[in-house]
Amino acid sequence: MAKTIMTADDSASVRQMVSFTLKQAGYQVVEAVDGQEAFDKLQNNSVNMLVTDLNMPNMDGIELIKKVRGESKYRFMPIIMLTTESQAAKKQEGKAAGATGWIVKPFKPEQLLAVIKKVLG
Amino acid sequence: MDNFRSTYKEETEELLADLESALLELSEDKENMELVSRIFRAMHTIKGSGAMFGFDEIVAFTHDVETVLDLVRDKIIPVNKNLVDLTLAACDQIRQMIEKKPEDNETDNVSEITRSFKKLIPDKNVSDEKTETADNDDLESISEPKTYRIRFRPGPDIFQYGTRPILLLEEIRQMGDCRIIGHTHAIPDLKKLNPESCYIHWNIILTTSKDIDTITDVFVFVEDMSQLNIEIIEESDLLNDDGEYKKVGDILIDRGDITPDDLRDALNSQKRIGEMLVEYQRLDPDIIESALAEQNHMRNLVKKRKDIVSASSIRVASEKLDLLVDLVGEMVTVQASLTQKALNMDDPELLTIAEDVERLTAELRDNTISIRMLPVGTTFAKFKRLVYDLSQELGKEVVLTTRGGETELDKTVIERLNDPMVHIIRNSIGHGIELPDVRKSLGKPAKGNIHLCAEHSGANVLIKISDDGAGLDLDAIRKQAVKNKIIKPDTNISENELYSLIFLPGFSTASSIDEVSGRGVGMDVVKQGIENLRGSIDISSRQGTGTTITLKLPLTLAIIDGLMVELDKTCYVIPLAAVEECLELTSNIVVNGHGRNIASVRGEIVPYIYLRELFKLESTPPETEQIVIVRLNNNRVGFVVENIIGEHQTVIKTLGKIYKNAKVFSGSTILADGTVAVILDPYKLVEIAESEELLERNQYVSWLSY
Amino acid sequence: MNINETNETSVQYLTFMLENENFALEINKVREVLDYTTITRVPRMPDFLRGVINLRGNVVPVIDLRLKLDMSAIKKTVDTCIVIVEIMIDGQITQVGALADSVKEVINLDPASISPAPRIGTKLKNEFIKGMGQQDGRFLIILDIDRVLSEEELDLVKSSGDMEILKQKKGMENISEHIKPVKPVIDLDAPDNDFIGRDFTSLDEVVAE
Repeated sequence: MAKTIMTADDSASVRQMVSFTLKQAGYQVVEAVDGQEAFDKLQNNSVNMLVTDLNMPNMDGIELIKKVRGESKYRFMPIIMLTTESQAAKKQEGKAAGATGWIVKPFKPEQLLAVIKKVLG
Repeated sequence: MDNFRSTYKEETEELLADLESALLELSEDKENMELVSRIFRAMHTIKGSGAMFGFDEIVAFTHDVETVLDLVRDKIIPVNKNLVDLTLAACDQIRQMIEKKPEDNETDNVSEITRSFKKLIPDKNVSDEKTETADNDDLESISEPKTYRIRFRPGPDIFQYGTRPILLLEEIRQMGDCRIIGHTHAIPDLKKLNPESCYIHWNIILTTSKDIDTITDVFVFVEDMSQLNIEIIEESDLLNDDGEYKKVGDILIDRGDITPDDLRDALNSQKRIGEMLVEYQRLDPDIIESALAEQNHMRNLVKKRKDIVSASSIRVASEKLDLLVDLVGEMVTVQASLTQKALNMDDPELLTIAEDVERLTAELRDNTISIRMLPVGTTFAKFKRLVYDLSQELGKEVVLTTRGGETELDKTVIERLNDPMVHIIRNSIGHGIELPDVRKSLGKPAKGNIHLCAEHSGANVLIKISDDGAGLDLDAIRKQAVKNKIIKPDTNISENELYSLIFLPGFSTASSIDEVSGRGVGMDVVKQGIENLRGSIDISSRQGTGTTITLKLPLTLAIIDGLMVELDKTCYVIPLAAVEECLELTSNIVVNGHGRNIASVRGEIVPYIYLRELFKLESTPPETEQIVIVRLNNNRVGFVVENIIGEHQTVIKTLGKIYKNAKVFSGSTILADGTVAVILDPYKLVEIAESEELLERNQYVSWLSY
Repeated sequence: MNINETNETSVQYLTFMLENENFALEINKVREVLDYTTITRVPRMPDFLRGVINLRGNVVPVIDLRLKLDMSAIKKTVDTCIVIVEIMIDGQITQVGALADSVKEVINLDPASISPAPRIGTKLKNEFIKGMGQQDGRFLIILDIDRVLSEEELDLVKSSGDMEILKQKKGMENISEHIKPVKPVIDLDAPDNDFIGRDFTSLDEVVAE
């Protein structure tokens, strides 16, 4: 049973790249263009992991993480945030909201997969 | 990649359009922070995605623009016409960059706009030009391997962040030679246990050529919510002059587990320091275990080092070894002839030489055999994968634990042990371990356990394969046995005897032919495989708690201690390991048997087999005959022979393919006079005798617990 | 055999006797010839498996060829020899000893002079015979030793652990099933074809006729 990972990102190209990389590695992928759509789709899909950008319209990543952690079925799900800011503040905010880890953009497909392996197995 | 680039271009076009309309709105409504956020986000996405697909120029350019917009968001830079115009210019610039062909010359515009943006940034906010990239991961510094002591104590709420500590340990494990000790003593009683909290912490000893940063990186997501200490253990500091690693007590002090005073108190007692400290209640057993693991790890490391330094190990093709063993075998045979000849000639000088040759040959033989010995742990490791794959396939959760992997066995035995063990483990997972839900409903942990354990037992090695699954289904076995007409429905038969029935050919209680077993390969094949190794197999089981299968194997296939016996002027060898005693078959025994082949040996009834009859020998039996009493598992049985010649260590030779059906003989050996003697297989002899009704039988076929 | 003939086309054979019949084996199948030595019987095995011998530290099985070819068991004389042949069993080259009453010599035979096995008169299973050669006016039966000692021929024992020997069918009731259409050694259209249906005890008698 392949695991399902959601990629939430307002950038189509990043979504496409993440989605392509994950599918190549044998995961199933659900895509969302912003926080709100991500949250809605999480209700209707069974997702094993979330990869979310932080800067998104209609509910940003931080807000999304907080709301997802509030859902009983996703309390322990690994969540990875994509950041370009290496500033500790954003990362801290994400962590405080309940993110498991982060990836700094730009990243290569193999770096993405390494992080997935670290948090999802 | 080009595919992604074109998507990026389209996307950037859209973003730029959105950016421009937002900027135009902003020029009308300068206080609208929502618009600023929108503008920032668009620029941020252009930069972030550009970096992904190699638009480095755009990334460099938008970096400064983004910095300014961020400051605008934070209200450090005001929104004014200048800013809007500059950002609009930046948009045009980005547009050009997207469409740019590599051969186009760079316009001065870029630096112009960049300078203008930089001017807007107050001094203290000037970020240095370094954009963080993750490329440095590729440059892992490879250096001399070092040993690290890692203590990882995750915060109790680590699970709330979706963190799975096991995966991090796995990552560490892949970095090199490592020992991980889990400390579970902090787990409270079930009543007080909060299942969402993490109570466990780990001590890890890792020898790796990766540097400390790489190790720290493993814990990058959790270091702020966990206690993490990574120290380098310097060998030179830790070894005393004898190259011995520090004593456990000192390690505990090093690690801050105890104080020197504790150690002094403990040393005043005669016990081992570890036990002592545990008794003092100063320390939990796992802490000691962890310190011991560290000590062992370092010892092995130092030993390996030394081995490498002195280049004391070389690789040899196993064919060469096999040849050497064969040659030594011949040597043993020739030496036996020489000794016999010397004895017959009664020449003291020759006898002295013969004795020297005998001593040397024995040493040579033992040495050669020890070269072919390998730790059985090498096979154990292979089964980890099997267990993992199979439990995934069947939706079961199984963990494989092992003990005694250092126990050594002959290379050939280990190789030929693989198939039977695979089959046993498949059975354990397929039929033994229940599905997680079922286990939970039975009050067992969801994860089943398969435990492999090896230990020496005299001239044999015992390998136990235990599972904590459902155990064997006695009723199903009984039904099957009745169906196969092995027993009658009313037969009174003990549990152990029932279990041993599963080793009969064609006996399977598997109701369906599933992926795991039932493909016509049953336990009889396993038994055959083990017996071909001159070993035996035993099974014990409790319904609901699990099954243990015990394999008893000879240390080596090359040599056997045998008892030489004679029948009809021919020598036979009985493996000495099984022989308990020998006695004369007196007329008394025969009379008391009332026509049955039963002897009473010190109050115990022992059935015996006339080998003369079994071997269909036609010569007349001599006046007196001897009984060799052999113990097979828990039963004793006698073999009647003519003479007992004595003990004899023999080199085993296979009888070859032509005699593959001669099941009662496990091989042959060459005697001192150059003739060949066959080696008997007591188990098979009993089986054949039973099938030919030479043995007193109960109402079911097999009284032997195989 | 014409001395002027080159040896290139001819094949060498080892000739030996079994119950007064001349047999031959291709020399490349033969490893060596031993004098009779002590054979250790392995009980409960078919009679034609005489036992095992020690050949320079290796244990080698020995087969009574006469029994295998449905003749009477060999009687040990001073001439009794063990011919060590190499055959393939289970894809492995295996050494097997074959008991012979006596070993004669190594001869050259021109392949062209070898005729296929006859339909009748040899008392042997047709498939054991590679062909018939002649030497000094006597017939030689060239054995297909790989067939004689093939796995199915040796596997006469049920592997269930019950050592009952399967009763081999004696006689030639079904011989026709085994006969492949071959050029008969005896030309049936020849004028003296009156030995059809007669019982000869050996090939030499046929030749003498």
